[in-house]
Amino acid sequence: MSEKGGKGFSLPTKTTPKSALKSTPASATARHGKDDNSARSKRGRKVQFGTEGLTDLGFNFSSLKSDGKFAIPVGKGDWAKGGKGEKVVNGGKAPVAKEAKSLELRVEQELPENVKCLMDCEAANILEGIQEQMVMLSQDSTIKLPESFHLGLQYAKTHSYYTNPQSVRRVLEALSKYGVSYSEICVIANTCPETVDEVFALVRSLEAKKSRLSEPLKDVLDELAKLKKST
Amino acid sequence: MFFHIVLERNMQLHPRHFGRNLRENLVSKLMKDVEGTCSGRHGFVVAITGIENVGKGLIRDGTGFVTFPVKYQCVVFRPFKGEILEAVVTMVNKMGFFAEAGPVQIFVSNHLIPDDMEFQSGDMPNYTTSDGSVKIQKDSEVRLKIIGTRVDATEIFCIGTIKDDFLGVINDPTTA
Repeated sequence: MSEKGGKGFSLPTKTTPKSALKSTPASATARHGKDDNSARSKRGRKVQFGTEGLTDLGFNFSSLKSDGKFAIPVGKGDWAKGGKGEKVVNGGKAPVAKEAKSLELRVEQELPENVKCLMDCEAANILEGIQEQMVMLSQDSTIKLPESFHLGLQYAKTHSYYTNPQSVRRVLEALSKYGVSYSEICVIANTCPETVDEVFALVRSLEAKKSRLSEPLKDVLDELAKLKKST
Repeated sequence: MFFHIVLERNMQLHPRHFGRNLRENLVSKLMKDVEGTCSGRHGFVVAITGIENVGKGLIRDGTGFVTFPVKYQCVVFRPFKGEILEAVVTMVNKMGFFAEAGPVQIFVSNHLIPDDMEFQSGDMPNYTTSDGSVKIQKDSEVRLKIIGTRVDATEIFCIGTIKDDFLGVINDPTTA
């Protein structure tokens, strides 16, 4: 079934790339119907860079295939030439605007339950520890740290603004009794906001609890400011 | 965002690795296979932090290979829709700019850049406000919000925006 669907996806892009482009905004709004429709809408959503396609691996592959074929005739994989790609983003702006409301962090729904969010400072500590261990193990030259490790470590180090992750964690835990989720707490810690307005602007999902959260957030931000590293 | 997650994988081991160092061989094979890879569900596996459990090995029919189910803890980096990230700009062109946050590439289209910023071509192409006060060029640090992600076999690619409140340039490399 998925194979059939795969062939079905590649054919339209081969023969009619332009019409596929034009049809994506319209089909993006059609959510029900046969596989073709839903797949095309998923393909359309893929072009708009929605994440819903990610949950279904079968469709992911086929939409990636069609994306690959879509990208090649348009811009040969070069984003600078992706003028048509940009037009689709524009054309799809109506659904994107509707999605703006759903651009809230939904980490807990998308990941399994045993996953623990890490703040950048905690991640930096862990990765630095691993790097020190690797220095000791480096006699075995076949064990090499991958590039993503170095990029990740550098990113975590440059974005760790706090000297002591445990105290940051303790301060932010106070927010969890107001219904702030773990991932939202991590986003607040990572972005290091200065005002309460900044927190509500950056973490849209907290706006619903604005009235309850404003006071405790202010206290938390004052505490965090004290814990910040002086650079 | 970084996550600490427990994953499971079936590792196949050749009998030549059996013996006293079976566990070490298994762990180093796991590290070689998994570290640096990327999946849509978990993102980039940045580093393995520990082995939780190694199950009983099952000998495969026909070959002498043995399959061990291994549960391991690792640090992964996965960008999420709606997340705020600080990224470093790597390339600027008239369609928008590319930035990097850790192992993840992010593209911000010019439609998602505030309207008062315009593209200026030249030796150092950049986006500048009309009064010249804010500039986005290569090596600028920018705070952006992820609005979509796409996963390839080996990397994750995101689309971001700076058209919201409190988003945009943090650090201008020319003044630093």
